[in-house]
Amino acid sequence: MDLTRDEEARLIACLMETGQLLLECGAEISRVEDTLTRIGTAYGGVMNVFVIPSLITITMNYPDRESITETRRIRSYGTTDFYRLEKLNALSRECCAKPIPIAEFRERLYKIAAGKKPLPAVLVGSILGAGGFAVFFGGNLWDGLVSAVFGAIICLLQGRIGRTELNTAAANMLVSLMIGLGVGLVSKLIPVLHMDKILIGDIMLLIPGLTMTNAIRNILVGNTISGVVRLAETIIWAAALAGGFMMALAIVNLIP
Amino acid sequence: MLDAIYQLIAAFVAAFGFAMYFGARKRFFFVCALGGLLSWGVYLLTDYLFHSLFLSNFSGSAFAVLYAEVLARHMKCTATMIVVPSVIPLIPGGMLYYTLDAAVHGDLAATRQIGGDTLISALAISAGISVVMALRELHMKRQA
Repeated sequence: MDLTRDEEARLIACLMETGQLLLECGAEISRVEDTLTRIGTAYGGVMNVFVIPSLITITMNYPDRESITETRRIRSYGTTDFYRLEKLNALSRECCAKPIPIAEFRERLYKIAAGKKPLPAVLVGSILGAGGFAVFFGGNLWDGLVSAVFGAIICLLQGRIGRTELNTAAANMLVSLMIGLGVGLVSKLIPVLHMDKILIGDIMLLIPGLTMTNAIRNILVGNTISGVVRLAETIIWAAALAGGFMMALAIVNLIP
Repeated sequence: MLDAIYQLIAAFVAAFGFAMYFGARKRFFFVCALGGLLSWGVYLLTDYLFHSLFLSNFSGSAFAVLYAEVLARHMKCTATMIVVPSVIPLIPGGMLYYTLDAAVHGDLAATRQIGGDTLISALAISAGISVVMALRELHMKRQA
């Protein structure tokens, strides 16, 4: 595909957008680099792509012209989002098979970026996930039910807090403080409940266990910088979670 | 035994929930839930046979990837979409909680002990996934 200079500039902007969206959907680093390289190659550039969680840099070299380099700072950190990830994968496959016009590429990216996971499914998912894990980790059915209710609350809280663009550590601390207070009070009132099991079910939704596993995987496959950065981040997030719960438990224990 | 059955059912429900939570499409819900149940089954079996935290997590996650690779071919999607919810029951959320709980109460010995177990589990899960994926890549390269 022959591109004008202007189109080349717009193509690299599209690649940046694709990379950022992939990161926001929780795609692995190696996958992001791979996808961007493939698309760029399909459009005729010789690609140099480097991605870490907070930065994307791309240089496109062309045999007969000057190269283009762009970088983008990534500030947002998304959660796993298969809904958009699947659409991005389909788009990138299409671009690799037969490069589509840049204007169309950009159009479709904007459409994907504006899309959202359907809230009802996410809500039901949180309920089943939190309830299921409370039982899984040894709680009884009542623990599961209470955990499920708080799972729904977490889901709604996350939507609210996500809009304020608070950083992840602070958001985690806030949510865990509120959930800790709620669960603590309920299990104070109803002594048959096991507070730890309910809390574990609920924090499976918050805990960066998956991110931690992915971070170690990054290190194992050779993306050491990304892996170490993510690992450090997950430890900080987990500490923030603990801080929130600690405050909540201290407050609950004050109640006679 | 009864405990194990409860756990397997709970793993099914939880993996189903997480497939929804992650925004997977409807046709993946059941597949992911079954993946969660089976991965936990492999974990329990390995744990019963070898009593090893590392081995049971490793084989559980390795199984999840194999399962996902086979089904992804049938359902025409990337394996990641099936691996991630299937592996969720292995994620040491409970251990992480008890680590933090011990840390908050200032019990250094318990923090170190449970925290170490948590890290070993995470390492074993990642290793299980990475090894199977690396083998698959090797296999694809030889075919090409």
